[in-house]
Amino acid sequence: MNTTLLDKFRKICLKLGENNKPTYVVMSIAAVKGICRPTFTMMDKKEEPKTKKYTAIREGLTELIAIPVYWLLGEGSAKLANKFLPEELKAKGAKNCMLIGVCAAALVVIPGLCSLAIKPLMDKFYHNRKGTLAEKFDKISSTPEIKSKSVPQPVYTPVSRPSMQSFAGVRAYKSYGMKAGGV
Amino acid sequence: MINGITKILTSNSLNNITSNTNSQVMMETTLKAIGRPGFILIDKDIDDDTKKYAAAKEFLYQATCLLVYVALVVPVFKKGTFKLAQKLFKPEEIGKFKSSKQYEHYLKLCDTTLNNRQKTIEKEIRGVYKTDENGNKVRRLVRDEYDSSIIDELNKEKPNKFPILKGAVEFGNIVGSVFGLAIFAPQVSHLFIHPALNALGLDSHKNAQTSQDDKHLID
Repeated sequence: MNTTLLDKFRKICLKLGENNKPTYVVMSIAAVKGICRPTFTMMDKKEEPKTKKYTAIREGLTELIAIPVYWLLGEGSAKLANKFLPEELKAKGAKNCMLIGVCAAALVVIPGLCSLAIKPLMDKFYHNRKGTLAEKFDKISSTPEIKSKSVPQPVYTPVSRPSMQSFAGVRAYKSYGMKAGGV
Repeated sequence: MINGITKILTSNSLNNITSNTNSQVMMETTLKAIGRPGFILIDKDIDDDTKKYAAAKEFLYQATCLLVYVALVVPVFKKGTFKLAQKLFKPEEIGKFKSSKQYEHYLKLCDTTLNNRQKTIEKEIRGVYKTDENGNKVRRLVRDEYDSSIIDELNKEKPNKFPILKGAVEFGNIVGSVFGLAIFAPQVSHLFIHPALNALGLDSHKNAQTSQDDKHLID
């Protein structure tokens, strides 16, 4: 292997060997998942394009929320431990607290935040987004309303016509249409 | 109470998990397998069938990730990077260890006091024998498993933990975790989840969920 590359690898290994923070692995997994999962979803040929796009954005957003939460909770709990633990236990306790913070993020905070934030975000993205194609081509609603002149309607007087019922009592009417000279 | 919390926070067993990437990832994946389906089931906006389907799917996905990780990623990447480190670095930088398992045992010994360490080195190993100078079959000692330079380190008050080797193993574990959980496990779970959901009688709800997703787009 190239010497400079080997030196860099040695430095990385030395740093990881001396201080392997629990946040490193979870953040790197979340970062790669945030790229790969939406890509795999978009590559799926069985799904409809609209569904694919929706699912991919949702997956990307989940990981995008996860990365800062892991970092904040991990580092935050380590700092908290540093404040309260005695001097000789600080190094050990801070790292352990970092793991507890990361676990809390995975168990409660990230799923909770996702269920709170993702649905409104997706709704906003899909329904209330300004400048969408639908809005651009919505010519009907943007056309000014023209008021039509009111035209007086003609008044019709009903004409009374004799109906066939008025002959109900006449015998000749009852035999109407019978055979000529009919008995 | 505060003393109890401090003891838990600074305990050696928790520290062993913290310093090992594999344990961290396994712990995190297990918690995800509990937390994510739990939050889906709590959600009041989704109907019951869709909730069951989504929660089962999420649980199966995380369980598949865990299985793939334990079965494939841990042994392959751990052993692979250990061998790579042996090739790349000098023996004085990484020590003369036979396997990654032996190095892990060495690290555990380093965390104990000098007195305990020396006692452990002199212990016999069960079921493993060697022949002495007279040709008799005697039990092998822990001491016999290690190289003499490593035994010298173990007899020091503060033994060298060979951080470069540890870092190399952890680097391999991180790369393996990323590859396993973000690239490989989703592909495996894609093949496994639908038959499993079908067997559980939950796959019929897929269409309902998909149409709900579509409705989101159309509305």
